[in-house]
Amino acid sequence: MLSPERLSLPGLDYLAQRHVLTYMEDAVSQLLENREDISQYGIARFFTEYFNSVRQGTHILFREFSFVQATPHNRASFLRTFWRCFRTVGKNGDLLTAQEYHCLLQLLCPDFPVELTQKAARIVLMDDAVDCLMSFSDFLFAFQIQFYYSEFLESVAAIYQDLLAGKNPNTVIVPTSSSGQHRQRQPPNDCSPLEGVEASLFYQCLESLCDRSKYSCPPSALVKEMLSSAQRLTFYGFLMALAKDQGINRALGALPDKGDLFVDPAMDQELEKLVAQVSGLSISGPTSSSGDAANLPVRHSPRINSPWKPLHHRRKMDTESEGSNEETDSSEN
Amino acid sequence: GLQLVIQTSSITDKSKPFEFRINKEQSSYHNRLLQHDLEKNYSGRQDNTNFGSSSSITFPVLQRTAEEKLLNSDRLTLERQKLTVCPIIDGEDHLRLLNFQHNFITRIQNISNLQHLVFLDLYDNQIEEISGLSTLRSLRVLLLGKNRIKKISNLENLKNLDVLDLHGNQITKIENIGHLSELRVLNLARNLLTIVENLNGLDSLTELNLRHNQVSKDVDTLPRLQRLFLSFNNISSFEDILCLADSSSLSDITLDGNPIAQETWYKHTVVHHMMQLRQLDMKRITEEERRMASVAARKEEERKRESHKQTLLKEKKRLTICNIARQWEIQQNRIALVASLNQDKDNEPCQINGSAAYVFPEESRSLDTILSSAVQGLSVLESHLVEVEGDTLCLYGAGALECLDRNWSVQTAGIIVAVSFMFIEFDEIVQVLTKLKIKFPNFVHLKFKETNLVMLQQFNALAQMHRIEQLTVDPQGNPVVNFTLWKYYVLFRLNHFHLQRINGVKVTENDIVMAERLFGILAYVASSELPQYRMLSLLGESRRKQFHYLLEGKGKKSGTGSEESSDNRRNGGESTTRATLNYTTKDFHMEKLEEIKERKTFCQTYVENLVKEAADINMKNESLQKLWPQMFIELVRDAVIEIRNKNSYMKLCLQRITDQKQ
Repeated sequence: MLSPERLSLPGLDYLAQRHVLTYMEDAVSQLLENREDISQYGIARFFTEYFNSVRQGTHILFREFSFVQATPHNRASFLRTFWRCFRTVGKNGDLLTAQEYHCLLQLLCPDFPVELTQKAARIVLMDDAVDCLMSFSDFLFAFQIQFYYSEFLESVAAIYQDLLAGKNPNTVIVPTSSSGQHRQRQPPNDCSPLEGVEASLFYQCLESLCDRSKYSCPPSALVKEMLSSAQRLTFYGFLMALAKDQGINRALGALPDKGDLFVDPAMDQELEKLVAQVSGLSISGPTSSSGDAANLPVRHSPRINSPWKPLHHRRKMDTESEGSNEETDSSEN
Repeated sequence: GLQLVIQTSSITDKSKPFEFRINKEQSSYHNRLLQHDLEKNYSGRQDNTNFGSSSSITFPVLQRTAEEKLLNSDRLTLERQKLTVCPIIDGEDHLRLLNFQHNFITRIQNISNLQHLVFLDLYDNQIEEISGLSTLRSLRVLLLGKNRIKKISNLENLKNLDVLDLHGNQITKIENIGHLSELRVLNLARNLLTIVENLNGLDSLTELNLRHNQVSKDVDTLPRLQRLFLSFNNISSFEDILCLADSSSLSDITLDGNPIAQETWYKHTVVHHMMQLRQLDMKRITEEERRMASVAARKEEERKRESHKQTLLKEKKRLTICNIARQWEIQQNRIALVASLNQDKDNEPCQINGSAAYVFPEESRSLDTILSSAVQGLSVLESHLVEVEGDTLCLYGAGALECLDRNWSVQTAGIIVAVSFMFIEFDEIVQVLTKLKIKFPNFVHLKFKETNLVMLQQFNALAQMHRIEQLTVDPQGNPVVNFTLWKYYVLFRLNHFHLQRINGVKVTENDIVMAERLFGILAYVASSELPQYRMLSLLGESRRKQFHYLLEGKGKKSGTGSEESSDNRRNGGESTTRATLNYTTKDFHMEKLEEIKERKTFCQTYVENLVKEAADINMKNESLQKLWPQMFIELVRDAVIEIRNKNSYMKLCLQRITDQKQ
């Protein structure tokens, strides 16, 4: 922990790199917002809770977009939360439009901008009709790249355009020389017989970008590996490859591997509990207003049509415990 | 010539032998008359051949015995004689009554010489056209019933006509009788009349028989008409015979067999409007009937007025709704409309209320002025509408939401079971939901149409209601319905209501389970993973009490998210896990963002100061660390140097003490 490089940074730089100040500022801001409530149970506890939630990645829930976007950790937490909450939607197999995914995003972050979602959709659909249906995993991985590396992608887009136009952003163009000017006036040849840009040249530009940029970039080694297989590539081809690359995904650390995308046993357990409750209650729904559970007829267990789980009722529908005992829901704890 | 002698074999009247003679030689007098007739009838025709052939027409010539002539000098009956043409009646020019009933005569001819004729009966023949009567100036009774006459014509000279019987013909139009000022009885029954017209001039008419026609309207009235028979026609509405009410002479009318007679109000209306009537449908009208008729007629009028008012109201409502819809459209497509208007200003047939309820931005304000100048005759319609239809409260247009501020009677408020919103922004509806809850405690069904529901989040706002059993979101104007998951989200978020129907479709158990499966984790995360202070701020003041126990519980143990108080659930209270899923309208959200920004800048400066201080201290600390060894050595060295010489040190100390005292 007390590595020399960590201690070598001057104070402010260190703070900036770890975004400590962002969290401090936000903590104070939250404190001010809820001062009446927090004063009741103590500031120390507030700070404990706050930084615990930052660590756990739950701090971004229902927060405004400017905060969600503020740090890479926030972004990663948001992605992870989105995955956790809506994994079930993907598991169910529904294909949704970009608009609907955006709705789901908005459930977690009310002012999430629609442009980001649309850009993510464009990655999936390779810049085609943006109203098409997308699968959960496709969208999620594309969205991850778009959201987490948004600034990086913008620079990449600029680089790509430059390369298409024949300009190499790495070379320094001396304005006085006529040859330099001549090169600048060269029209972009998008409709060249070969599509896209050359992979190796592209990678060089990316590498220099990653070196000097302040924002988060994918690890260069992985990018190099990814680009080594292709000779030429288009912009969206590149993005798509980024999205699909599991190495980069793992490096990010927010989402599980594609194969394990729908696996989350802890949450599944919780979900089963909830579903059991609901299906138990849904039978008694119309009579709930009458109050007394003891008058309910013997209930048969409902057939839960789940495509991926066998029907089990390890939590038996306990008719007595539902009604009589509020404190101990025997099946729950 | 041929001589044909016919003797009738009538039993009753054996003293009427006739003689018919057919001879080829025509008396020149007859010929001339014949030709005159022909000319009269076929005036305009240039067919010379007819004239040529006319001379070869042969007519039977009638002659009576002298005896006969003496007995019935002025009357001649030629009934059922199988005549196909009118015979020439010789030497009977003083004849006054002539009877040709039940024959097969096709044309009236050869009677022009009978200029004293007063009574002519051609009933039941095959006459197709009225003709050959132009000389019969004395004719008073003309019976042409049961023939094939298609048109009333050639009666110009019969100014003395008293009775004209044209029943059982094929007459389609009443015409050319206006000059018959002496006519008292006109029988046009069983013809093909559709309109009663051209009766002007029949000042003496007392009886008009129009039975069994196709009359549906009666236009004219006659000053002396006493009896009017309109049975078995096609009169179906009272307005058509209303004009008869003006006739003071009318005392007897028959209307049976008309569609109008089937109506319940028939008798009363007729009696009431035609006070002068004495007989209706051949039955006397009693005083009692008259009285009841006025009462009934008054009631009828009331009813009509009421239904008229209703129609007017309905029309007004329809127009208002159209207006509101148009305003809504404009609000939604503001810019598009401006663009299109710049191209065709005059083609806009709109009825926009000049004082629109919405506040438009700059471009639309000019739009308003363009429109109002293009419209002629601005109809000042409302821009919102509130209506109670049965058990549904219908609100159209944003202005309608203000009605919730009104005082509603407990009765009216109590019967409202459904509330329908149309052409109102959902965000605006959200703001009045609490008021709605208070004013109308019994509603269980919400309907939304053209309310701009675009996000699943917006359904969160409905969670605060007492109870919803049915939810209808019309696809029109609500894009949210296009989402695959919208119903499940509604079921999930509003599960404490136990919705029965969504958009008319019954909610099944599977739906509920599926909804929970899809979004259950969201609820879990939203409740159990939020730090306490976040929970509090998200729940808002009003709901904290409700979830007080949960918050208490949270303080003590973690991971209590899935625990539900069955009490809470049973009372229809909101599920705690979902309570944090809120909806804030855009404006509200923007306000909050502003606040947050302000706070953020403050916090930034505050923390900056702290950091600066800390960095300062840190730097000083570091510097101290660096400098301290040196300083320490110096301190020690100084001290040692001082103490080296004991005596001088003692002196120094004493000196210091005395210095201090001063």
